[in-house]
Amino acid sequence: MVAIEVTDLTKRYGEVIGVDSLSFSVEEGEVFGFLGPNGAGKTTTIRTLLGLLSPTDGTARVLGADVRDEAALIEAKRRIGYLPADLGFDEGLTGKRVLDHHASIKGDARRTELLELFDPPLERVIREYSTGNERMLGIVQAFMHDPELVIMDEPTSGLDPLKQERFHEFIRAERERGTTVFFSSHVLSEVRQVCDRVGILREGRLVALEDVETLLNRGGKRVQVRLVGETSPEKFVTEGMVDVEPIAGGLQFTYTGEYNALLDYLADHDVLDIDIGEPPLEDVFMHYYGDGFERESESATPKTEALDA
Amino acid sequence: MLEIARYETEKRRRGTVALAVGIGVLALVFVAFFPSLDSADVDIDAMLAAYPPAIQEAFGIATLSTIEGFLAVEIYQFVWLLLLGLYFAYSAAGLIADDVERDRMDLTLSLPVSRSRVLAEKFLSLLVPILALNAVVAAAVYVGVLAIDQSIDPLDLAMVHALSVPYLLACGAIGLVLSVLVSRADVAKRIAIALVFVLFLVESVSASTEELEWLGYVSPTRYYDPTAILVEGSYDFVGAAVLLGAAVALVLLARFRFSGADIGT
Repeated sequence: MVAIEVTDLTKRYGEVIGVDSLSFSVEEGEVFGFLGPNGAGKTTTIRTLLGLLSPTDGTARVLGADVRDEAALIEAKRRIGYLPADLGFDEGLTGKRVLDHHASIKGDARRTELLELFDPPLERVIREYSTGNERMLGIVQAFMHDPELVIMDEPTSGLDPLKQERFHEFIRAERERGTTVFFSSHVLSEVRQVCDRVGILREGRLVALEDVETLLNRGGKRVQVRLVGETSPEKFVTEGMVDVEPIAGGLQFTYTGEYNALLDYLADHDVLDIDIGEPPLEDVFMHYYGDGFERESESATPKTEALDA
Repeated sequence: MLEIARYETEKRRRGTVALAVGIGVLALVFVAFFPSLDSADVDIDAMLAAYPPAIQEAFGIATLSTIEGFLAVEIYQFVWLLLLGLYFAYSAAGLIADDVERDRMDLTLSLPVSRSRVLAEKFLSLLVPILALNAVVAAAVYVGVLAIDQSIDPLDLAMVHALSVPYLLACGAIGLVLSVLVSRADVAKRIAIALVFVLFLVESVSASTEELEWLGYVSPTRYYDPTAILVEGSYDFVGAAVLLGAAVALVLLARFRFSGADIGT
């Protein structure tokens, strides 16, 4: 079954286009990452899925309910959890009171279990919460009624690295339990750790829809290396290295080839310092979908398949 | 049912208690002031008769020489009709707009609840401070009046409070409409205050200007007259029904607007 089905979804705010004829679907039991730079239309899509915005054109279905049909969507929401990007809790109330309120309407079968993993100070008023505590309260709230589908907008923003790791672990466990998870992010490493598939959004359009593996293979690694002696990009560059740029005392490049080959190659040099990491998301876009953007903006009906070619 | 209303009430509990205590004390102060006015060697009513009719109308001044007339002017025309009318319009104007502005509406509407239910329950939550204020101040006034060796018809006193409920709900409903129409909460609240105040003035002016009399019918203050209740013992049930009907119509209007609107754009 399909948990989320988005069909030609368009949302305009007057002249401004939020999302532009977006189509994709999320399978039941899948962890789907919705990736894109800020302002790409991720939040607009998510808020449309929850019926907070009404589509200008096209539609979407969540757990079978058309987002334009309020009654059907309310029924579906019993089985949906939502974690918004900007958490609006009532600051004058305690975390416990807020959870009690949500529980009185949607239930809280898993509350105790979740509070062992994510432990905001429930007895304190939310005004005194740190961003991380507020985020944890949001996570508990989103999962406590044991939903089939959880929709989250930038779920880890504000969490410290330790809690982020715990959250990723938790999402993997949720996947094992069969929960469908749909979340937006602008951090590639987060998406690669937990997602089965990703959709990449740019300027309101879906520019890629891929397995995480495929995306990562295309993404490569960003390598910064400092060598003994002078190095010029021309002399150093070898197969699999793109976008080679000089940096202080060395070079920076994106590597898309075999890792063993890179290590062998570097072993022949006198390496002072090396840093291998994830390329910034923008770079992945630029290098691997750059042409696609051009083609997309020229054609009236974009086809994401064209990008895979 | 009513989980949202209960939650809203709880959020406003401290404000409700403060308001009830504050106005209760204010009412007692007014009552305590009456004996010195009563015993003063001035014909206060003769002085009042010299006031312009519009002022007399605005503050429902019939007489200040009886406790009923005094209470009607000082507490009910001024505090109840004007101040509380403004307060509930202001308060209601924040019900939806505040939540949308502070990103709270997203979480509320992620719950399996309809927008109509959110709107209706939020509006209903206004009833708690309205009823609490009426109960506390009615008791304070009654006890205060007995304490200064005066007497007041308990039925009239009860009616002046009971019939204020539809009036205050109507003021709240005006605020609610603005709350869904205007996206910035502080603007919605300011317009609500201004509007209710203008309606109050319109009624006062139109009552003393014949050709504008029809205009007074749009003002909620036309349908609730504390002076008539306390001084003459006449109860305007039709007016109360009109106010309730208007409140319902305004809530339906707000619902129509809110159910189709994009949240927070």
